[in-house]
Order: sequence, then C-alpha cells, then structure tokens
Amino acid sequence: MNRPKQDALLSELTDQLNQRGSWCGETHIQKAAYFLQELRKVPLGFDFILYKHGPFSFDLRDELTAMRADGFLDLYSQGPYGPSLLPTRRSVELRQDYPKTLQKYGRDMQFVCDALGNQNVAELEKLATALYVYFQHESGSRRVRAKILHDLKPHISFSDALEAVNQVDALVERSA
Amino acid sequence: MGKDFYGKVMLLMELIICVTLCALDMPKSRKIPKSEHEVRDPIHIFIHFDSDERRVIDSRPLQRLRHIHQLALTYLIYPGTTHKRFEHSLGVMDLAGRVFDIVVKNQNVSEEVRRFLPEINQDNKLMYWRSALRMAALCHDIGHLPFSHAAEDKLLPEGWNHERLTKEIILSAEMKPIWEAMTPPLRPEDIVKLALGPRKAGLKFSRWETILSEIIVGDAFGVDRIDYLLRDSHHAGVSYGRFDHHRLLETLRILPTPATREPALGVEYGGLQSAEALVIARYLIYSQVYFHSIRRICDIHLCDFLAQWLSGGKFSTELESHLAMTDNEVTTALISAAFDSSKPGHEAARRIICREHFRVMYERNPADLAVNPESASAIFSAAEKHFGAESVRTDKYTQRGGSYDFPVLQRDGDSVSSLALSETLKAIPIFAIDYVFVEPEKRREAEKWLETNHDAIIREGRAKEDE
Repeated sequence: MNRPKQDALLSELTDQLNQRGSWCGETHIQKAAYFLQELRKVPLGFDFILYKHGPFSFDLRDELTAMRADGFLDLYSQGPYGPSLLPTRRSVELRQDYPKTLQKYGRDMQFVCDALGNQNVAELEKLATALYVYFQHESGSRRVRAKILHDLKPHISFSDALEAVNQVDALVERSA
Repeated sequence: MGKDFYGKVMLLMELIICVTLCALDMPKSRKIPKSEHEVRDPIHIFIHFDSDERRVIDSRPLQRLRHIHQLALTYLIYPGTTHKRFEHSLGVMDLAGRVFDIVVKNQNVSEEVRRFLPEINQDNKLMYWRSALRMAALCHDIGHLPFSHAAEDKLLPEGWNHERLTKEIILSAEMKPIWEAMTPPLRPEDIVKLALGPRKAGLKFSRWETILSEIIVGDAFGVDRIDYLLRDSHHAGVSYGRFDHHRLLETLRILPTPATREPALGVEYGGLQSAEALVIARYLIYSQVYFHSIRRICDIHLCDFLAQWLSGGKFSTELESHLAMTDNEVTTALISAAFDSSKPGHEAARRIICREHFRVMYERNPADLAVNPESASAIFSAAEKHFGAESVRTDKYTQRGGSYDFPVLQRDGDSVSSLALSETLKAIPIFAIDYVFVEPEKRREAEKWLETNHDAIIREGRAKEDE
C-alpha cells in the first residue's frame, strides 16, 4: 500500500474514532490500527511489538508524525492527559482521492471503531494485549491466555485479564 | 637556609621511603594502581571512568570510533565539525550515569513508581544496571559504518543496519571476555537492549529495561540526543543546539504517565522550560546543520561513490572487515578516485572533492503541499524523464518519533502531560525536507524548465492510484 493511500485510511480511522467519542490520542489510534491490521487484515504494513501499553508500532508513530508534517493531522491538547490527533480539512481532500480504497475497507473500519471508539487507554491496553496473546497462543484456553496476559502486564488483575480475553474472543468470533 | 638544607631534607625523606618500602617488601618504583581515570572533554569538562570501563574504551570497536566522523561530510559546510563518534560515545556514557544517579535517588522516587519498578529498591541490582547502562551508552554507536548514517540501507546487505552491527559486536567473542571480567560481570544481552532500545533490539523488554533504554535512546530526553546537540553545535560554531542541560538533568524523574500510571521518563515542573529549549534546539539544528542541502547532496554523492568502489557495492558485515573500515580508508579512496577517471566512482568522488556537487532545483513548500502532498516526488519523476536519471537526485526526510508528550511532576505531587502545560511544545513544527537536486551544468536550464512546467507537474502528478 502506498503512502497516500495509507494516510487516507489512517485519517479516516481517526475521524471515525473521533465521531464515536474517542479521545483520539496516539495510543487510541495505535490500538485501533492494530485491530484493523491484525484482526481485520487491512494491509496497513506496520510492524507491531509488545511495548508499554500493549502492541505498538514505531513505524506507525513515525507515520502519524509525518501526517502532521504534511498537514493531515493536527495536535490538540485537552486536560491533563496526552494530546488528541484530529484530521484536518486537507485530510478530507486526501480521502476524496481514494473513494474505492475507503469503500473497500469501510466495513473493517466501522467494525473496529464500533468496538474500540468508546474505550479509554487502560481498556485499550487490555484488549489489544489480549488480541496479541490470542495470536501468539491461539490454541490456549481462555484461562491460560488470561494468565499470560496477567504475567505480561502485572498491573492487570487476573479477573480483568480474563474479561479482556472473553471480549476479544467475542470480537474474533464476530469478525470471522 | 639555602639549597643545601633542602637537599638534605629531600635525601632524608627518600631514605625514609626506601626503608619503609623495604620493610613492606615492595619495589621502590611500584605505584598504587589507579582505578579511576578521567579525560578532558569540551562539553562535559571531565569524563570519569573506572579501570573496567577503560578496558571497554580501549577495545578495538571503541577505538575505531576515533576514525568515524560524527557528522559525516558536514565538515565540507561547517569546517569545525571534524569531531568523531569516539568522544560522543564517552559523552553519552557520562550523561547516562548522571541521569541514572538522579532518577534513582531516594528522594526523587515516589512510592507508586517503586511499586511498578521494584529494581529501584535493591542496591545490588542498581549497581549492576548503572554499569550496564553506562556500557550500553558507550557502545551505542559501535556498529556505525564509515561516515556514519550515509545511506546504510543501500550499502549493507538485506536485513542489516548499523544497529544490527552494534548488536553483533556487543555479543562478539572479542567483547565477551571484557564483559565477563567486569565487576559485577555484565550480561551482553542487557547491554544490547539498553543500547538499542525496544524498536531496534528485537528482544523482549521489562518495564525497568524500557525506562533505562529511554535514558539513552528516548525521544524526549535521550542522552544520545542531549550529547549530540551540545557537541555538534559546539563544533559547528552555531548556537542553535545549546540549552540548559544541567538544569534539565537535575529535574529528570521517573513519573507515572497520567492516563495509565505506567512509569516513564519525565521532568519536574521547574525543568519544563529546559525541556522546551532542548526541543527548540533540536528543531533548529536539524534545519540549519544536519539537513543543510549541501550536506545532504554530498551524502548522496558519497553513497554513489561507495556503491561503485566497494566490492559488490556493499559494506561487509563480517566483524574483522567492519573493524578495519573507517573514514580514513574511504577518504583516501575518494581523493584518489576524484582525480583519476579510470577509478570506480570517479564521477561521484569528483563531485565531492572538487565541490561540483549537484544543486537544489526544488524544495518542499507549503503552497505546493496544499495542491499535492507528494509534490517533490512529482517534480523528481518529471525531471528524471526530462534530464536523464544521471542528472537528478532526490532526498526526503521527515522527523521521526511522536509528539513531545511526557509526564511533568507538578508542585502538588500529581503528574500531567507536558502538552497540557506547554504551548511551546505544541507549537514546534515537525521537521521535514524534500529536495530535488540537478547537476550544476544543467542548473540554469532546469530553473527555466521548472518555471514553465511547475504548475502542471504538481497538479497532474498527484498520485491517485485508488483501488
């Protein structure tokens, strides 16, 4: 996927998250892009590793910065938390160049934004890490995966981990 | 009392020393070995290290850095920038140790952070990690190719970069005995992790290791960046890269991130302005020094030269060959090729040595970006068709890393996002360049051609490969 097309999809993702009331910080976009790429198989082309708040892509971080440099995203800070990244008018023009691409992945985008749009950073960390564990240990039972998630992120209790694993399994099932 | 008296006193003292040494059964010439050493440094005044660390400094991979320019060919534009990666590595080691001492100091660590990072409560572990951090900082650049970053993606085999070379050297049989002989012995894998960080190391990181690697390679306060900004501006003779780093270091803390409470490297409220100054310094020195158009085109010519001069067009990744290849070997070949048309890479070498480098014909600008976000690519493609591939070059770079979002410790003990407090951090532009260069012989023609065709190329060249 070339860069302009990738940027069109990322700005659409940001827009849809924002419309669903998401804070739209970098972590929100990172986790939504992770679900979009790994669960819905949209070929965004980013490498994700397990980092501070779960799956994270340094390439995606660079791309979001490049999108700010090109005027597709703007930084807004509100309250004590990190800033929001919101799409600009120029990003609307960019998206108008890619109607077929946006249509092709429209349902995937909607699925992910419906599932994650109203989640805060702590919830997103749990869910995205649970999805990461799912792909690493697909054959593992829910309790086994919850234990792995709890071991990876000790501040997430076992019961919270189990709940996140259940939620992710439901998403995987609905996504199939 | 004359000379005679003092002479007698000196003789008497020497006699006493001889008698004492004989009594202790020690030879007269033996000195107590020095375990602490220091070197002078233009940025940090003195850099201290112990005998274990000196063995690492004296190793071949570190000594090789005495022959790798910190800023590649930048000395062709800023003649003072002939400093090397060696002194930068010492500087990064020194700063890493200082930051470590500040952020783990008892009074600077909250109970919440202690719960997240139990390593902070164990003195023996702290001693180990301090040593590992300093050695990682010292070694973070040992994989650099000659002339540092210049085009390593094109000049190394698939899957290799300078970070992978750094990793291989730290883990090598040559370095292993040095790590084992240290007190306490260091695990080379830990040094790799801290030197390269989670993005490049390809290893799993604990929370503690993530924080420590941030001290070296972090986006906001990495000491690698702090040292190179100060050092490069000093040698370039520019003031852009300077900021109050003493104040910044003193106010660095490990703090909970506001949204998740996950610990991260941040700053006390009083240090926020120093952090802003660092970010401004970075923006200015990138614009004025690192991405100066002539520096960039010289790097491209150098890459063209190396692709023809190197066997198979690539640098070797084999350890002995890597250690034997420095800027000195490349410079000798470059000068020789510049004046001998039969030598490989002659044309590119001549462009550098005789200062006949390509000139800027087009540069990214806001008006064109509004019409076409890939305006420079469109101009480059059209120019390549019109003037021929050998006559034009292009160069593109956009600042990496995220926004300058880090926790700031407020007076009430709570931490908030830096971007909620600082208008300055929000306002700093993202640094980006996009150049198209043309050979000097065609510069006038290119200017006229661009004047005539600019609008049509920008408009029609907008990529719309929709699915």
